[in-house]
Amino acid sequence: MSNTNHNIESPKEKQNRHKAMEAIKLLNTLREDFKEPIESMEYFYDLFERVHCKHESLHDDKTKIGTMCIQIPSEIIYALDGVPIRLCNGFYTDDEIGSDLMPQKACPLIKATVGHFASGNFTDKPDIVFSPTTCDQKTKAGTTIESFGYKLIDVDFPRTKESEASREYWRRSVKQFAVELSKFQGKKLTKTNLRNAIKKIGYAQSLYHKLSEFRKNDIIPILGMDVFLVTNAFFFDKIDNWIEATEKLLSELEIRAKEKITVTGKASPRIIYTGSPPIFPNYKIPQIIEESDGIIVADETCSSNRMFNDMVAVDEWNIYDMMDSISDKYLKACTCPIFTKNEDRIRRVVQLAREYKADGVIYQAFAGCTVYEMEQRSVLEAMEKEGIPILYLESDYSPSQGGQLSTRVEAFIESLKTRRRNKK
Amino acid sequence: MKYFAGIDIGSTAIKISIVDENKNLLGFKISASGSMFYKYAQETLDALISELGLNNNDIVYIVATGYGRKLYKEADENISEITANAIGARAAASEFGEIKTIINIGGQDSKAISLDNEGNVVNFAMNDRCAAGTGKFLDVVALKLEMDVNMLGEYHFRSKGTPLSVSSTCAVFAESEIIGLLGNDHGIEDIVCGVHYSIAKRIVKLVKRVGIKEGIYFDGGPALNDGLVNAIENEIGQRIFVPKHPQITTSFGAAIMGVDSYNYENN
Repeated sequence: MSNTNHNIESPKEKQNRHKAMEAIKLLNTLREDFKEPIESMEYFYDLFERVHCKHESLHDDKTKIGTMCIQIPSEIIYALDGVPIRLCNGFYTDDEIGSDLMPQKACPLIKATVGHFASGNFTDKPDIVFSPTTCDQKTKAGTTIESFGYKLIDVDFPRTKESEASREYWRRSVKQFAVELSKFQGKKLTKTNLRNAIKKIGYAQSLYHKLSEFRKNDIIPILGMDVFLVTNAFFFDKIDNWIEATEKLLSELEIRAKEKITVTGKASPRIIYTGSPPIFPNYKIPQIIEESDGIIVADETCSSNRMFNDMVAVDEWNIYDMMDSISDKYLKACTCPIFTKNEDRIRRVVQLAREYKADGVIYQAFAGCTVYEMEQRSVLEAMEKEGIPILYLESDYSPSQGGQLSTRVEAFIESLKTRRRNKK
Repeated sequence: MKYFAGIDIGSTAIKISIVDENKNLLGFKISASGSMFYKYAQETLDALISELGLNNNDIVYIVATGYGRKLYKEADENISEITANAIGARAAASEFGEIKTIINIGGQDSKAISLDNEGNVVNFAMNDRCAAGTGKFLDVVALKLEMDVNMLGEYHFRSKGTPLSVSSTCAVFAESEIIGLLGNDHGIEDIVCGVHYSIAKRIVKLVKRVGIKEGIYFDGGPALNDGLVNAIENEIGQRIFVPKHPQITTSFGAAIMGVDSYNYENN
């Protein structure tokens, strides 16, 4: 035997170490590699380090309600005294585990999510999982996850959003979801609780909106990567802690804006990021952009902007009206490419580009995410018509692809700089 | 009594083993390859012979192996280091049991060799000639961290935080990554640990190409680094066997081969 008496890691310990190594690498990059770091971001760096490197649980005292997509209404989960944990996963370690269980060409996000369930390696293990039937791969992943012994309930989701029928259909699904969850929790959905939950999430959204305002300025006080970290923390953090930390961040940004402290270079092109979601720690493309002197000023992704952009708009604060308003927010406002027609998404990207004075758009699709891959055509055409430069990239979670991608991003950013200079 | 020498001329070190007719290891000697492979090999052989109280005439058969084997013209035979490694490993691990896979990390390359039940080489995989994941890589790291390469193992086990991964596969780029980590005041322990894991991951990929089986033997100079041994064990998920003198397995195998060839030629 080997001369060392040290124990060999169990498979779980090994996975944890691999994930910790992925996490710390990104966190150290954020902490150290950019100029003018923001002090109050440390709460978020530390949060991710605690969860992914030190494996601390955050919600021992609550029922953890796993969600497989953005469409499961958190308002209802909070109203029924649960904690929503969004399980969309960005770890390459889990992607590799999932690769053995999924088709080779499947999307890395789904592979990583399935891999995470297969490993069973959770700091906050979900007590029940709700899986909306959004894209094909997520829909089918549900049964795979169930086969590992998790309690999983499908939530029927329509793939058109224009028709009144689909609206009705989804409203019924949301009601059914509330019934299932209320049964599981042994609690009744009350008017007061639902109203409080809507207000609390609405307040969190308003903080995100304030955060976004700073990014419209000519002098940008925060990195796009940091904003992704803040919004990704909303997947699993205690909501009150998140609110407090984001309030602190906002007051620091206020001061930075006054003192004209910026994280960018003198002529950093302003980028809108759209497409497959950056989920911690897969910030590959955002990192390449911001290390190549670009700055992400806004995004159109389900791990960030799409979670916060649209609020639940209630007319009458009775339970039926609240439920319908919640349903509408998760269907009508959603710009996911799974929908048949998706002009909303193009409109959103164009609108963001104008509001945030963007120099260009970077569209990333995960190799294997068919709908994002398909929709790039219409988005590229629309941007061309609007005269907004756009770069389309395909990537996955593997750590080795950096060189090829960064050359393309760098060239794009250089072209944006030249374009801006020629305009002046 | 007749004696047999195996000379393994590697990129970094020359390793010589001498065995008797019964294939027992009598002694070995290791010296740096330096710039004159042939001269140093000859000097090392002479020194070893006199240390063992033998004469040059007692050595009846010499087998050369390793990267520089063809430079040693006096050899009666020369064989590839893969064959020699397989023979040596089986002999060195006799008390451990059946060897199915050999991991060898040398100064400039690394290999995984898969053996059948009779100890024949059935498959092997080598990295491209490149310093990534080799002994040279560890030398570069130790130099940068201003420590002796023998200290790496000790630092590895002192790491209390998350190992810091070094993602570059190129030794030159990895060096600049390490400089970056040092510049940000990260603990040397966590850096060393991360370096070991990055080598271990590459090695495990190599082993996967020939198939991971029970009975893994690890040799070559870097096997002296128990931090690296620990990292490979963790990545591969099983105990691996490291012989007492991991540097000389291949020369030992060459010497054993000499016994067989001599007997075959003279009977």
